[in-house]
Amino acid sequence: MIFQKQNKQNTEEQEVYIEQTNRETEDNIDTVVGPSVNVEGDFSSEGNIIVKGTVNGSVHTSRVLSVEPGAKIIANVRAGSALIAGEVRGNMKVKESLELASTARILGDIEVKILSIEPGAIVFGKITMPGIEGVEIKSGRRSKKTEEQSAEQSDEYLG
Amino acid sequence: MYVYLYDSFLEQRKYNGIVKTIENRLTDYGISGKILRLNNFTDAKPIIDDEIKRGATNIVIVGNDKTFGLVLSRGAGSNCVFGFLPIGVENNTVAPVLGIPLNEDSVEVLAKRRKEKLDIGLVNNRFFVSQLHVLPSKVQVIYDRKFKVTAADKMEVVVCNFQPFYWKKDKKDKEVRVVHPQDGKLEAFLRPLTKSGFFGYKYEEPSIFPFEEMEIIGESAFLVETDGRQTKEINLKLKLAKNKIEMIVGKNRMF
Repeated sequence: MIFQKQNKQNTEEQEVYIEQTNRETEDNIDTVVGPSVNVEGDFSSEGNIIVKGTVNGSVHTSRVLSVEPGAKIIANVRAGSALIAGEVRGNMKVKESLELASTARILGDIEVKILSIEPGAIVFGKITMPGIEGVEIKSGRRSKKTEEQSAEQSDEYLG
Repeated sequence: MYVYLYDSFLEQRKYNGIVKTIENRLTDYGISGKILRLNNFTDAKPIIDDEIKRGATNIVIVGNDKTFGLVLSRGAGSNCVFGFLPIGVENNTVAPVLGIPLNEDSVEVLAKRRKEKLDIGLVNNRFFVSQLHVLPSKVQVIYDRKFKVTAADKMEVVVCNFQPFYWKKDKKDKEVRVVHPQDGKLEAFLRPLTKSGFFGYKYEEPSIFPFEEMEIIGESAFLVETDGRQTKEINLKLKLAKNKIEMIVGKNRMF
């Protein structure tokens, strides 16, 4: 009888444990680079990446890259989406959205579809976004033809 | 034919009741078989090979995480189906990962025979099934021959295969955190240590890397605990051996 009672309790405890662990695995993050760790080389992952330390080389993920305040990436970055609150020295190519927090510092070109920048973020580089195709930007004198085209386009955009 | 490998701790009086109930249930389901009792120094490999020669098709491990590790680290790769009957509440973290309930309820899972081919870890061409633990030492880790991970001082490395890793931030931390094994990849958990004060070391926030191939290189020989056994190594090569074990698993498995 004593054993039976204990066993019932055990199974109940175990069910609760399994439920808890299942919930935890759903929330699990794939790759985490800790604050006192240094990564060198081609750093790629199929899952989400959270960077709290330093990465040198290149970073690639098809999912979300998150760079925490104080973290440093000295590399070219390719990601599905990115949330930057640290420092990135290198070109960034983000497929979907890029969010720059107020503590973000980007030294490099950015290619992104959707961009949001919090006041205080520092960007030094060229930002390219798809959507306005066929516009040629020239630093010197522009030909009459391109001037006319750009005037037409700006009229279109202004409504 | 079923062969049951009993761990030596099951001879303790407190397990008599559970073992009897399990044996009765096995008879009810018609899957009872030969019982072999393992000792601490028994090598499971020749026993399994002998039994397979005599016609055994199912080898069932009866015990806890330690038994599971000891038997499968030697027996993986054998041409048979493995089963697991976890006994007791303590030291049974692998069973929930495989979806096997503890004690006599596990017999039902065994009887249902839901077979699954599982991946296991290879460390320097030896198998490891539950967990590999590199105790804090000066090491650098190379992942998939692509990138290198280093720390300023010592580093602790834990690689989970079937056994989840439970850890706390520090001694005062009340919350127990868990790293869960995933399918198709091994999970490496790195915790660098920094000096605090004259003697003590403090654990830093951990890093987690899923991988298929990994190399751990030490400045000097470091202690490694593999499936409960300690060795000293200077270079460790870890790999994932895919579909190496055929195992009876439960419906609630975590992969």
